[in-house]
Parts: sequence; C-alpha cells; structure tokens
Amino acid sequence: MNTRKIGLGIAMIAVLGAFPVAVGNPYYIHLAETILIYAILLFGLDIVVGYTGEVSLGHAGLFGIGSYTAGVLFFKFGVHYVLLVVAASITVTAVFGALLALPALRVTGPYLAMVTLAFGTIVQILINEMTFLTEGPLGIKVPKPALFGHKLTEFEYFYFVAIFMLLALVAINRILRSHLGRAFQALRDSPVACDCMGVSVYRYKVYAFVISAALAGLAGSLYTYSEEYISPNTYNFELTILFLLAVIMGGRKTRSGPLLGALIVVTLPSLLSDIKLFRGIATAAAVFGVVLAATLLAKKQKTVRDVIVPVISVVGMAAFSYNLENIVDWRLTIFGFMTLFVVYYLQDGIVGYLRASAEKIWPRNKSLASQAEADASKTWAPRAQTTPASGNLLEANNILMQFGGLKALNAVDLHVMQGAIHGLIGPNGSGKSTMMNVLTGIYRPTGGTVTFNGRSIVGSTPSQIALAGVARTFQNVQLFGEMTATENVLVGLHHTFRSNLFQVLFHTKGYRDEEHSAQQRAAGILQFVGLHDLAFEEARNLPYGKQRLLEIARALALDPSLILLDEPAAGLTAPDIKELIEIIRKIKEHGITVILIEHHMDVVMSISDTVTVLDFGQKIASGKPSEVQNDPRVVEAYLGGSGESLAPSPTLAA
Amino acid sequence: MEILLQLVISGIALGMIYAVIAFGYQLTFATSETLNFGQGEALMLGALVGLSLVSNIHGGPYLNYWLMIPVVIVFGLIQGAVVEWIGVRPSIKTKSEFGWIMSTIALAIIFKNVAENIWGKDDLTFPSPVSAAPFQLFGANVQVMQVLVVIGAIAMMLAVETFNRKSIYGKAVIATSNDPGAAGLMGINTGMVITFSYALSSATAAFAGVLVAPLTLTGATMGTSLGLKAFAVAIIGGLSSGMGAIVGGLILGIAETLTGFYISTGYKEVPGLLLLLLVLAVKPSGLFGKAAIKKV
Repeated sequence: MNTRKIGLGIAMIAVLGAFPVAVGNPYYIHLAETILIYAILLFGLDIVVGYTGEVSLGHAGLFGIGSYTAGVLFFKFGVHYVLLVVAASITVTAVFGALLALPALRVTGPYLAMVTLAFGTIVQILINEMTFLTEGPLGIKVPKPALFGHKLTEFEYFYFVAIFMLLALVAINRILRSHLGRAFQALRDSPVACDCMGVSVYRYKVYAFVISAALAGLAGSLYTYSEEYISPNTYNFELTILFLLAVIMGGRKTRSGPLLGALIVVTLPSLLSDIKLFRGIATAAAVFGVVLAATLLAKKQKTVRDVIVPVISVVGMAAFSYNLENIVDWRLTIFGFMTLFVVYYLQDGIVGYLRASAEKIWPRNKSLASQAEADASKTWAPRAQTTPASGNLLEANNILMQFGGLKALNAVDLHVMQGAIHGLIGPNGSGKSTMMNVLTGIYRPTGGTVTFNGRSIVGSTPSQIALAGVARTFQNVQLFGEMTATENVLVGLHHTFRSNLFQVLFHTKGYRDEEHSAQQRAAGILQFVGLHDLAFEEARNLPYGKQRLLEIARALALDPSLILLDEPAAGLTAPDIKELIEIIRKIKEHGITVILIEHHMDVVMSISDTVTVLDFGQKIASGKPSEVQNDPRVVEAYLGGSGESLAPSPTLAA
Repeated sequence: MEILLQLVISGIALGMIYAVIAFGYQLTFATSETLNFGQGEALMLGALVGLSLVSNIHGGPYLNYWLMIPVVIVFGLIQGAVVEWIGVRPSIKTKSEFGWIMSTIALAIIFKNVAENIWGKDDLTFPSPVSAAPFQLFGANVQVMQVLVVIGAIAMMLAVETFNRKSIYGKAVIATSNDPGAAGLMGINTGMVITFSYALSSATAAFAGVLVAPLTLTGATMGTSLGLKAFAVAIIGGLSSGMGAIVGGLILGIAETLTGFYISTGYKEVPGLLLLLLVLAVKPSGLFGKAAIKKV
C-alpha cells in the first residue's frame, strides 16, 4: 500500500514537473494552473459535501474572499511578500468559514444550503459595493508575484501553484485519514450517534467549514496572481454550481475525484466552444445511451419507465446539438443536464464508478485485509473503573418530561446500583426510550434531577455526558453506515486522541502512537463482540444482528462506566440472543454498569439484578426480577384486566 | 413623513410578493419536506410567458392582462409538475436530500439559461394593465398596481387555503402533510399529492410573477434573488405557518425599501439575507413555527 502511494506521488510530481516543459504553450499552462487551483478548492469542498454531507452554495463566496484578500493586500496596502499574502488569505477566509459555520450549528440540509447561498450572495454584494476597499466592479489588477526578489514568470508560477496543490493534497489526505476525518464522516451518517460517542457535532462541523474555507482562501489567493485581474462577477452562483458539479462528478470522498472534476469543469467550456466536437460527443452519447437502455431492457433489469428519461435526454441532446448555431449561450443548460445526470445515474462520481467496476473484476479480499488483527491475547479489557465500588452510580429523581400536554415521564425515580444490570421494562409507549434520551442528554427534562457518579448531568450536552462515561446503543440502529466496522469503533475511541490539527498534519510521533494504539484497541473490541471477521466491512452491509453487536462494540470503545442498551435483542434470532446474553454478562464482569431496555422477558429476567417497570410514564414497580414478575400492577399493565394471579409467562411480548 | 409612508407602502406591496412565493415553499414542504430551489425561476418564467402573451415581443398581443392570468397559472401548474417529476420524485424514492437539492438547482439553472436564450439577457418592461398615474393616500403616492398586488396576493393565498380546507382533494393534501405513511395506507395517492403540491406551488409563483412584473423590470435574472429572499421570508415566518409568511414578507419588504432609500440601493438585498442568517442562528423554526421534537 505504502509503496503504491509513494509510486503514485512520484508519478504525479513527474507529470506536473514535465507538463510545462512538454507543452510550452502559455495558454495550456494557464489552463492547467487553473485546474490545480480549482482542485485545491475542491479538496476543501469535498470535506463539506462528501464527508459531512452538507450542500454548500457559498464556496464561490469563500473563493472570492480569498482572492480579494490577496488583491486588496497588494493593491491597497502594497504588500509584496507573496507567502505573507497567501497566509493572510488563508487566515481571513478561515475566519469567514467559521462565521458561516455559526448558523450551520443549528441547521442542516436545505436550510444550510440556503444559508450558504445567502452568504455567497452577501459576499458578492459586499465586494461590489465596498469600492473604497475593492474598487467595486472595476476590479483589481495584480501582477505575478516576486519570490526572493525574483519576479515569477507564467512558467515558474505554474510550479509555484503545483507545489501548493501537492501540499494541500498531502495535508487534506492526512486530516481525512485521522480521527478528525472520521469525525466528519460520522457527522453525515448519524449526528445523534456522533454526539453520544462524545464527538461534538457542533464543534466538528465548525472545523469542517474552517478547514474547507482555508483551502478556498488558498485557492483564491493563487487565482488572483494567476489571472492578474479580479472582478466581483467571477464569484457568482454559477461558479458555486460548477464547483459542486466538479466534486460530485469527479467522485466525492476521494482525492482523485476533485482533480478529475477540476479537469472536466475547466476544460469543458473550451471543448464546448467547438460545435463540431460537441455534436460528435452528443451523437456518441445518444448511441451509447440507446444501446445500453436496449440491453438493460432485453435483460429485464430495468423497466421502460426507468430508462425513458435518460434515453429521451441523450437523444434530445443530440438532436438539439444539430439545431444549434452558438453553443456558448447554452453552456449553463448543458451544465444543468450534466448535474442532473450525475445526481441520478452517477452518484459516486466517475472515480467511484471506476472503483466499483474495478472491484467487480478484481474483488478485494476483505478477510485478508484484516491481517492487522489483534491476536487473541489482546482482546478488549476496559480501563480501571474510577467509580466507587458500591452505592448508586446513577440517581434520577422525580423526572418529569413533558411534550406539550403529554407527560411522557411523570415523577419517575430510577436508582441504578454500581456494577449491576438494571432492567427497564414496560409496554410500548411507557416512556422507556424517553428515559434513555433524558439520561444521555438528548432531551432536557422538564423537571427533576439526574446525578451520575455524584455529579448533576441535567443540562449537559450529549457529548459531555458521553465523555463523563455514559455510553448507549439505539433502538433503531444508528451506525455510521458508510464507514467500516473498525472505523465505527474508532469513532467511539475518538476520546483517546489528544493530537490537534497540526500534530495530525505533521504526523508527529505522539499522533502516530495514538492512532496505532486506537487501531489495536478497536481490533480488540471487535474481537470481544465476535466481529473480528467483519472488521473491514462497511457497517451498512452487515446483517441486522451484527449491526446491533457493532453498536455495543462502539459504545464499549467509549470506556464507559455505564452502558445503556436500548432493545439490543430486538430482531435477533435465538442463537444470536444467547450470544448477546453472554456478551452482556461479560460486560458486567468487567465492572461496567448496564441499563437494559428489552421486550424479551426471558432475557431481562435472567440477567437483571434489578428491574424497574414503567407504564404510561410512571414507575409502577421496582425490585428483584422475581418480585416484579409477581407484582399485580405489572401483570395488569402487560395483560390488562384485574390482576388475577397468573403464572409468570416466559415471554411477555408487548 | 410622506417619504416614510411612501416607502412603507412600497414595502408592503413587495412584501406581499415575497409572502406568495414563501407560501409556495410551504406548500411543497408540507407534503414532502422538500423545497424547490427554483421557485424564483418559476416566478420568472411566469412573468416572461405572461409578457409574451400581452406584449408584441413574440408577435402578440394575444390576450389582455386579465385573460392572460389563468393561462399563466396553467403554465405554472405544468412547470411545477415537471420539476417534481424530473427533479424531486426520484430523490424522494431514494430518500436523498442531496439529490433533490442539487436537481432542483440544476433545473433552475436550465430554466434560467433557456429563458435567457428565448427572451434575451436584457430586462424588459411589462405593460401595466392599470393606469400608471398614482393616487394620493395620506400624502403618499400610491400606484394602483401596488394595491392590485396586495389584493391579488391575499386572494391567491385564500384560494389555496380554502381549497385545502374545504375540498376532499385538499383534505388529501393535509392528510399527506400530517403523515405521508398513514395517508398512503388510507388509499391516498401520496405521489399524486406531492406532484400536485409542486404544481400548485409553481402556479402561485407564476401568478406572483405577473403581479410583480408591471412594478419592476422583467427578465431572466429577476427570479433568483426574489426566490432567495422569499426563502428568507419562509424561514423567518416559519415553514409551517401561512400567517408567518405574510408577517415575514412584510418585515422583509419594508426593511428592504427603507435600506434602499436610506443607505444605498446596492445594499437593499442585505437586510433580508442577514435576517435569514440571524433567524436560523437563533430560532430555526421561525417566528411562528413550532420546533419539531427530534425522535431517536
């Protein structure tokens, strides 16, 4: 793997180094320069779009801020030190990135898309209006910079840009492969689970935007020197769409994707200006589309409805290309159709598509990939518990949780003994999951107190509570679907990392040690729950029962003193349930306290030390399993009617 | 004082336009929790199609202003259904938020570019259906068209609301917006309802387009900023509250005319966008919206 990477790196440096010499034509050198500059920005955009899964329509604005910081520093303040200017552009844009992230703390999806769009629009208006600083629509002229007293030529400036691109590539690769990158990715798949693993969604969203903005700033300043003239109209909505198109068409969550995407969007306008070439491409695409659709229909893999839209569009495109005199005017329409096509038929981009096809031909051996496996002796052992050996670990008193007029929890007390397995049962809708959410900080109770380990946790954020030692699983599985089993556990181990961004960038020894020990521990935990064979499988591809086990593994990675299991046996087969009971017993043996919500009464009654029963938001019984089982109120809640003495049934499915 | 009143009146007329577009956002959000990022382009197309019908740019005039309105509304209905069919339905199936955001944006770009190629890049003037001479109201000059805008906007919203509340089809819309799953099980074709909500939403936008066109310039670029600011209005008022859309629209419309006059016309877009950022940072559910309880 590593030799391959070094080989790729050398090949890339060789290509970049040889390109200007081989081509020689300043027009093409400038075009290649633009591709590299766009690629830098796209690496950053990919963090937001590919990793955290948000749509940013503000990156043209950030790019503009970077450009204008460079332009204004040179033009108004006469700063000639190019490295200083570049550093200033990065810093200023990163600050704006943080500003942009502030509303992003509260909103996601379409709201965030509109926020970023509003941001981009404001930036363009300000650049236009603040003429005292930006010269407004007139624009700013900036010559090529001087380095060590020598003014760079177009030729030399290409190398200057190429070096920054390579630096950005290495930096971003290191960040995204570290715990920071895993946090970004986890945000996208399940923000709630992320918070409950002690990874603050808010903080990492801001980080993602700041890093992304810093790269946009770098790209912007390089662009200023590259074009030698900047004006507000460049940084418009179309540019934003072009950037987004480049990232998703190239392939998100890759480094090669943005490079390829930049190549396409930069060269496409020049390709499109040649009408004959465009007619050729459109005809070829139409023939290919029709043939492909016909084969798919013949094989009955698709229905007519599935293929009708793409077939009509490619044929329409070809017909349209022959009725066209001036292609430049229709450039945006073509970009629009390309975006539609990529969104629906090429979701993982060109690179993703090629990778998937390559994997079909040469399947990767996933069990072989797990040779880095910890041996049996390194199986998981929790760190020493810092909690008292006896007494109540968790005390919730008089909890009231009100949603509008509904009291989901009404004056509920829950006392959980240190080291015990505490069953929490009740019919559907009795408030068990609400209780879980109150205990882990997802809901703030309307009234009452919760003390964990002697400290009040009401009002703490989910991630603070998680870091204090409360881990949980979810009733509806909340795994990080696109990440492997190992990576899921590594997100749980996020708290073991102390390295900051710079230590990650420079791969310091401290960081490498942390990463190594985290990998080892992850392997050990997976071994403990019996998932070591599936360590490198994506979580979304695991069977349901294994997903539940993976959730427990991820929760254990937090090194919790208390673990809350929300219906861990739901949907499991009988042999899986046996395995699960064994795992819960072992967790208890390691001194970890367990709260268990479960509908399988045989499971709860066989392993719980204490059982609390809720019904309609009220506690109706609490005590040893045998006592609770015979409590007339419990029997009534489950079976209805006046509690005639009933033989305890092994499974009281609710 | 007269100037202030004058600005407030212009602000109200503008604000009602925002309210109608924002209302359109609410319609689709209610049924499918999706938004058409090309709402502004639906408005622009409505205005330009209307312009082609009432003026001589494409060999017309074919109709007078009043007869043109129903034609434009029908055009809007079709345009909205097309957007839903191409851009939104496939993403709802795959539950891809990214998908519908990107594809409605892509469609918006296509509409805008096509409009530029048909109607040109320059702004055109829209003939006013009523006398352009203003009348006096407490010393301020009021144009008849401004009054028409306010009446038309309210009438459109009332018509849609009445339809939703009184007719059996409207009940299907409301049922779908409350719980699409359950509505589907009760035999409501929720896919149809969502298509219909998009059609209705674009129709209101197209209608808003022909209302606002005589007051401003008409052109391919008129929709983008109107659409964005109307989104701000929808957010400020709350995506689930019709009253919120009106109040939000008025706040923004007045803020904008005041900024345009007292600060600079270049900055007149800024207060709305800042307000949007502020509301989203402080109360994302809007002034009139209810915060949803997140379920785990």
